[in-house]
Order: sequence, then C-alpha cells, then structure tokens
Amino acid sequence: MQIDVLPNGDNGHMHLALRGELDALTAPKLYEKLTQLLQANPAVKQITLHCRELSYLSSAGAGILLMCMDNFAPKGITLALAEVQPEVYNILDLLGLTKLMSVSHA
Amino acid sequence: MPKASLQFGASTENLPIIRHFVQNHLRTLTQDTVRINQVTVAIEELCANSILHANKEDPDKELRLELRSQGSVVHIYLYDPAPPYDLHQYPDEPKLLRTDTNRPGGLGIYLIRRLIDRITIRRRKGGSSVYHMMKDLSP
Repeated sequence: MQIDVLPNGDNGHMHLALRGELDALTAPKLYEKLTQLLQANPAVKQITLHCRELSYLSSAGAGILLMCMDNFAPKGITLALAEVQPEVYNILDLLGLTKLMSVSHA
Repeated sequence: MPKASLQFGASTENLPIIRHFVQNHLRTLTQDTVRINQVTVAIEELCANSILHANKEDPDKELRLELRSQGSVVHIYLYDPAPPYDLHQYPDEPKLLRTDTNRPGGLGIYLIRRLIDRITIRRRKGGSSVYHMMKDLSP
C-alpha cells in the first residue's frame, strides 16, 4: 500500500492519499506513518484519508482505523475518510465505522 | 462442479495471493464487484484466523483453499491442519470502541457471519479441520 501526503493541506489539516490494499500486512504501516507525520506536524488537528485508489479493506484495516481514531481523539485529532469506493464503503458500513467517523463516497 | 484450489503456508505474506486467487475465480461467476468483495473479505478473514490463531503463523503448516461453484452458489472449503476453533464463541456484535475492560475486536468473525450464508466446521481424523462456507451470488 502507498501513502502519500497531498499538497492541499494547511497547518491544522493534513490530506493523505491511500493507494492499494489495507489488510493485516499493510495496516501497521498506516499507523506507523500517521504517528510519524503527527509527531513531525504537531499543529495538525484533522487528517483526511483520500481513498479513491484504496481497492480493498479487511477487518485488520478497519481495526487500525479504529485504533487511530481511539489514540488520536484524546489529542483533539479527528480522522475522516473521503472518496471511498463502494466495495470498501460497504465493509466500513457493515462494521458500523460509518457511524463513528466521517466517511464519504467516491 | 467447477473447482479451483490453492495451497499455501500459514503466513500473512500469503494473504494477497489468497485474495487475488479468490477474486479471479469469483469474476468468472459474477460481475457484481460489491458481492465479489464481500465474499473475498469473508474468505480472507477465515484464512487470516487460521493463519494467525490456529497455526500461529508457522509457514511450514500447509492449508488448502478450494472453491466450487454450482449455479449461482459458491462453496468454499478451507482444509486446515490445526484443530477447529469455535466461531460461535464470539459475541454477535463486534467491539468497536475501547472501554476500561474491552479492546476493539471480533471484527473479522463478525464480517464472516454477516457476509456468508452458511458456515459449518468439521473436525477430521488426526485433529485437522475443514471449514465449509456457502454463498449465493445471485442478486
């Protein structure tokens, strides 16, 4: 999976593009990358993950999103998913994540 | 009954191989990408549980996944060298949020239950197991 920082952010809002598949193998890399970016950019209070090119999400991927949300919330940081493909949205919705965080369709 | 099978070691490195094998097979049965993804997720969750929990990520342990289709129904068999685990021991709803006593969990088992029409588990001679899942792909 590829994680790229998009240029359209500002000090408080970071935009990232996720490309590929978020599963048991790649999920820890996402958490590691987000943690590194937040350490390097302490002013960030909102992260939007753009998922137009995220083609697959397993329970391990959903679990890491929950862990991010859970660990970042006490620091006042919110996580949102944008441009989510129907296949991935369906899994997020079945698990109830669409009620816990902002998730918008592609 | 058309059949396809894949043998793999109990390593999470094999999850993408399993996923692409399943997707390629299902694409010959339906064009519904959401339905293909649902079945792929359910199969991957079953395999991931066997790899991580039943076989403790020992790549020398060999598992076999078999897909058979009959009309619009796909039958999924997972032959696992480890003893079966009871999918029904998990709560009906996944735990999404951490509490003082609970960590998030049960997401994979919950997805299998939601996405698959029927699952049966059989212990074989010698202690190995066979998981059989069924899914009707018709709209």
